Amino acid sequence: MSDPQSTDDLIRHLAQAPVPARFSPAVLLGGMVGLAVAGLVLYSAEFGLRSDLVTAWAHLPVQAKTVLPGLLSVIAVWLTLGSARPEGRVVLWPVFVPVTLAIAMAAYRMATAEGPLLSEAAGSTALACLGSIGMLSALPLALGVFLLRRAAPTRPVLTGALLGVATGAGVAAGYALHCTEDSPLFFVSWYGLAIALTGSIGAWLGHRFLRW
Amino acid sequence: MTAAFALSPRRDCAELPASVTVLSARVEGRVPQDEVWEVLLARANDGDGAAFARFLQAVTPTLRTVIRRRGDALPPDQHEDILQEVLLAIHLKRKTWRRDAPVRPWLYALARYKVVDAFRRRGTSVTLPIEEFAEVLPEESSVVPLSGRDTEMMLGMIDARSAMLVRAVALDGKTAEEAGETVGMTAGAARVALHRAMRRLSGLAERMMK
Repeated sequence: MSDPQSTDDLIRHLAQAPVPARFSPAVLLGGMVGLAVAGLVLYSAEFGLRSDLVTAWAHLPVQAKTVLPGLLSVIAVWLTLGSARPEGRVVLWPVFVPVTLAIAMAAYRMATAEGPLLSEAAGSTALACLGSIGMLSALPLALGVFLLRRAAPTRPVLTGALLGVATGAGVAAGYALHCTEDSPLFFVSWYGLAIALTGSIGAWLGHRFLRW
Repeated sequence: MTAAFALSPRRDCAELPASVTVLSARVEGRVPQDEVWEVLLARANDGDGAAFARFLQAVTPTLRTVIRRRGDALPPDQHEDILQEVLLAIHLKRKTWRRDAPVRPWLYALARYKVVDAFRRRGTSVTLPIEEFAEVLPEESSVVPLSGRDTEMMLGMIDARSAMLVRAVALDGKTAEEAGETVGMTAGAARVALHRAMRRLSGLAERMMK
């Protein structure tokens, strides 16, 4: 029920208002990486890295366990930042590059494995894996959503989901240095589930906090 | 309805090549440098309140037209409310504009989000293609419509009858009935054909600019 007169008043009012704070991608990246690394360092101080890390690193699945989530995290962060601008266009296919590689790896293992597949995939630390990745993601994700409120995503749910995937994947890449289960069947399933979980939480947070 | 219709939006896209420089040179030739939206908003973000007021005043007519067009389902007295919501959002999010980028794509994306949101919250759902904004671009850009050569080239890419319709309605300002008569179609059929032709043209324009 406003009239044009009050619009002029509003414009005058807005013109005198202080310039709002700027969204800074650097602060977002720095803050989130800082929190995630701090969490992982504390976690390793408590539970230790895997003892055979140096020798195990020679094996492809052990490398993939860190490199693929790391790659996914970088891609998802990059897309998050792109989608946080109103005129930004989001192309999602880069996300599927590491995902496809991971699935291919699991499929190859499935084709060549000789033991019972199900127990190999189930592993013995699945819950610890889910719980650790989830817990370690919580603070960085919360900070990221908080800082993104200054940005202007026109698809807030998508932006939130991408941020959640980025966080979960980044933490998983670090957690992999602790985890001793090296079967692609295990880590693709459980890391994948953990990342999907943080992605869903991110989507919900986006819906809840990133609309403007 | 101006001749610039659905083709002009692309004028404002960053990826437009040489023609953009031509356009801005022409626009800036007429408009004093300190009224260019980019300049106003950049100064506003540096803390110049007067520049921000002028920027908001400059974009208001465009926003008003967009909202009026979309607003059939709502009583007009709410249109001004929606306009104010958009203006407020422009203020709150103004720092997300990067000053090395053109203002218009940013502004239209932002306004589109807010207008759709405003109507949705009032219980009507609307789809608002970004082209809608370009249709009502400020007069300055409809003074510089798509160059005749571009238009002719694009009309050459659709079938002859549709091209005649578009030419009659969009360029010569005839009504759909009159245009339909000249090509031997009923008014209804002409309108449908015209609508399809426009859609194809904006699709073409989009592809050309990519």
